[in-house]
Amino acid sequence: MLLDPGMDLTLRPMRYPDFYERYRAAIRNTWTVEEVDLASDLADLARLTPEELHLVNRLVAFFATGDSIVANNLVLNLYKHVNAPEARLYLSRQLFEEAVHVQFYLTLLDTYLPDADERARAFAAVEHIPSIREKAEFCFRWIGSIDSLDRLESAAGRRAFLLNLICFAACIEGLFFYGAFAYVYWLRSRGLLNGLASGTNWVFRDESMHMEFAFSVVDTVRAEEPELFDDELAGQVTRMLEEAVETELAFARDLCGDGLPGMSADAMRGYLEYVADQRLARLGMPVRYGSANPFGFMELQDVQELSNFFERRVSAYQIGVEGSVAFDEAF
Amino acid sequence: MTQELIAPPADLAAQVGRACAGLPDVDPARVLAAVRGAADGVQAREQAVIEAAALVAAEPGYSRVAARLLGAHIADEAAAEGVTTFAESVAAAYAQGLLNEETAAFVAGNAAALNALADDANDDRFEYFGLRTLYDRYLLRHPSTRRVLERPQHFWLRVAAGLSSTVAEVAELYALLGALSYLPSSPTLFNSGARRPQLSSCFLLDSPRDELESIYDRYAQVARLSKYAGGIGISWTKIRSRGSLIRGTNGHSNGIVPWLRTLDSSVAAVNQGGRRKGAACVYLEPWHADVEEFLELRDNTGEDARRTHNLNLANWIPDEFMRRVESDAAWSLFDPKEVPELADLWGDEFDAAYRAAEAEGRYVRQVPARRLYGRMMRTLAETGNGWMTFKDAANRACNQTAEPGNVVHLSNLCTEILEVTSDGETAVCNLGSVNLAAHVVLPNGGRPPARPGPGDAADGIDWAKLRRTVRTAVRFLDRTIDRGFYPTSEAAAANAKWRPVGLGAMGLADVFFKLRLPFDSPEARALSTRIAEEIALAAYGASADLAAEHGTLPAYGQTRTARGQLHVDHFPDATPVLRDEWTALRERVAAVGLRNSLLVAIAPTATIASIAGCYECIEPQVSNLFKRETLSGEFLQINGYLVADLKRLGLWTPAVREAVKRANGSVQGIADLPAELRELYRTAWELPQRALIDMAAARTPYIDQGHSLNLFMETPTIGKLSSMYAYAWKQGLKTTYYLRSRPATRIAQTTVAAAAPAASPVPDAEAIACSLENPEACEACQ
Repeated sequence: MLLDPGMDLTLRPMRYPDFYERYRAAIRNTWTVEEVDLASDLADLARLTPEELHLVNRLVAFFATGDSIVANNLVLNLYKHVNAPEARLYLSRQLFEEAVHVQFYLTLLDTYLPDADERARAFAAVEHIPSIREKAEFCFRWIGSIDSLDRLESAAGRRAFLLNLICFAACIEGLFFYGAFAYVYWLRSRGLLNGLASGTNWVFRDESMHMEFAFSVVDTVRAEEPELFDDELAGQVTRMLEEAVETELAFARDLCGDGLPGMSADAMRGYLEYVADQRLARLGMPVRYGSANPFGFMELQDVQELSNFFERRVSAYQIGVEGSVAFDEAF
Repeated sequence: MTQELIAPPADLAAQVGRACAGLPDVDPARVLAAVRGAADGVQAREQAVIEAAALVAAEPGYSRVAARLLGAHIADEAAAEGVTTFAESVAAAYAQGLLNEETAAFVAGNAAALNALADDANDDRFEYFGLRTLYDRYLLRHPSTRRVLERPQHFWLRVAAGLSSTVAEVAELYALLGALSYLPSSPTLFNSGARRPQLSSCFLLDSPRDELESIYDRYAQVARLSKYAGGIGISWTKIRSRGSLIRGTNGHSNGIVPWLRTLDSSVAAVNQGGRRKGAACVYLEPWHADVEEFLELRDNTGEDARRTHNLNLANWIPDEFMRRVESDAAWSLFDPKEVPELADLWGDEFDAAYRAAEAEGRYVRQVPARRLYGRMMRTLAETGNGWMTFKDAANRACNQTAEPGNVVHLSNLCTEILEVTSDGETAVCNLGSVNLAAHVVLPNGGRPPARPGPGDAADGIDWAKLRRTVRTAVRFLDRTIDRGFYPTSEAAAANAKWRPVGLGAMGLADVFFKLRLPFDSPEARALSTRIAEEIALAAYGASADLAAEHGTLPAYGQTRTARGQLHVDHFPDATPVLRDEWTALRERVAAVGLRNSLLVAIAPTATIASIAGCYECIEPQVSNLFKRETLSGEFLQINGYLVADLKRLGLWTPAVREAVKRANGSVQGIADLPAELRELYRTAWELPQRALIDMAAARTPYIDQGHSLNLFMETPTIGKLSSMYAYAWKQGLKTTYYLRSRPATRIAQTTVAAAAPAASPVPDAEAIACSLENPEACEACQ
């Protein structure tokens, strides 16, 4: 079974081909930081109001450390316990993607904050800005929650691991990051910070895949060991999401202050609750809030783009194409 | 509530109410509900615009609501600059140094008559995205306040006035622009009447000579042309390849890549007046010994010092290469310094010179032709770039290549312009496009037929109106040649000599939706071909009239037309419908000649189709629901024809909307939708690409330049692509444009209800046997 302790090395016959397909699909979506053009953002930054600038600074300060935290958990916990070589292939790939995201946000901060002291402060945000520190502490608590677990021998151990996995998928990548993306697309809906948004499009795509991979691990475990999924686990997941929503909401209050045109902590609450419900539904658990999505601009993120090259770089191409020259294939 | 919300100003409710007037299925309250925290009335209206635009997915009518609110905003902004009439607008813009004296004086001298032409009712023709695009990028703005100095109707009148000498001329062109039935290309819209009226869309530069001074001179030319919003095509075929001896220093060349890196940076540095970024496409013939490195320039992996992220790439392919691919033969790669003759030859002469150089062993190395072709396909799939354009087809029928030495060396940034170039001649093209959607007449009293069917295709288009539009369009395109400012002397010289224009079309997909013709039906192909024939015939007729009035183009003696050949004559299989009209045209042209060497080119029309609210050029729809990302934000686009049908069938429900969204804009999974409507509303991804190629091939006899033909493949493989492009070549296409593919993975949709966990992802032996890895092994799914 997937969570049986050990280091399975056997790829054939492959037990979980879905994980391998995810690995291959991820490779086809490779992107590099050099492709993102941040130049136009500088002009935008110069014309932001103080409130908007505050929001942007806080936001990039969160991004600066968020992906590193996810990478840590991946190395310390997920890679250790998800015991299938094809799953570990995916996790290796995910680790690379987290590194690209870290590099992207590093480049972003270097570009946005030319002053060395300001930069240093932004990277240290996790220590001195309470709303960001609280989010980090939430993450560290869940990373640490299975510190002492070297082998998932017992049902209790496996449940503890599942909670860690679900926390990172549903709360951190699936809620903290989704909250952050909403601010980016809100700015974008007002024609601001296109560079940030175009890089975020790719980060968003990657994070979606990470979350989906984690959920498919959960699905697999549920099918293999349904007895692990009892009401207590569902209750724990719901409480965890409630806590994540409140933590993210504190961040939203910090970012939005008394509200900005089209964005406020209140509206963000509705959005976070809506997203949290989506995560619960995906996990097959009862929804908690019943809130509707208040952000029209997020609808746009679900629809495929069509760019022309005068405007921006097209972000939809694939790499890793297969086959050989032929003249009679259907097209 | 943890925060106090500032209620939207009362006036806003009235404004939103007005914006919703007469539109079914829109609710002012839904727009107002989302307006929160606005500091003042202007900000509140801005929010209302954004909120209305965001509701488009649920009800397309909100696009008009948003457009009307934005229109009110634009009018207020112009009023704040003292502009309410057209003449005031021109005076204000002239005072700020934005317009030329001639235009300003003409408008001031005819103020009353021109003001009377402005028809504000035309504003209601805009969808939100179109008006937003005008507002963000096209309307003239005060240099320091950044407020607009013209309203949309002033803008159309200014464009017309910049190209006119009399009020009647302004009225004639404005009638087309205001009705959105013909639009000139973006540079003309940007710059008509401007102090520096650069009106041309495309510039094609021959390869620099194989020497340092020439290369740097080309960079400077490219920069000057880019600055004024021109798209650049440039060949690099004549520059020596890697390892070639540099006699002056006794060193060895690093090949073309470092030069193209410099070009890349130069293009990125030139911002087209802040309105869009510079863009260029580099053409290379596949016998150049650096071709493999060229094909890697857009890869996003590998050494960044050998990558160009801004340049577009195109292969300029001789038939000999495709023949060798077919016969699986070897292909020789040459250093142009050693074999300089190849770049200036095409057809039989190229074939002979190529084989002779090969027989003499002058190549750098040989590769299997199929391997290089496969590499081209991979570049297309991975980057969409590396367009396949065919040198011999482009030269063979070109009106400018009658005399030896006049050679088409490349196409342009969008692969629709095919004109001769040389070291001293930079080819130029002025473009405009007819909105075909505005020329449809529905046979049964204006109502679309309830069920799709071929109908009488000839009845679907108002041919007389189309001909009138084309004649006016050609007259004003010809006018742009004389009124235009040319950033380089090479461009000015070539355009004065050849006087080419490129009249194209947009909204072909709208025509098919309105007439209920599936894009790949024989009726659609026949209608598309007839449209192309009508446009060509009317355009030549207009050019002949201009020749009678003003004389032929100066280089008329060098054209094929002067030798009695029209473009269509190069296509023996073409079957014109309008035989008598062609005969009459031939007689007329024999008597008076033509004013323009080339007349027809179908450009991509990405931006002007957005303004006009129609589908792009000759393309099928990419999706029934997609978004556009532009410099001014993201915008949802939804197929209004589909929505109308769904409403009629009672199927425009949240569930169906979500299903369309979840399927990325496809309706194939909506079982309740009648089969013939599912067929009609297929997307480009769901159409056989063979049909797109066949339609383009059928149109080719009437397109004396080229067309920007995108091809679509959801998940490209080398096998499918190589088959497709070989077919395109065999069908005689001159060029192709982007290969469009889709991302390998998607984001998790935020606003679509999450699917419950899969029933059983547990692998068992059967599931493993049936995995994606070995589809052949599974019989269960076949």
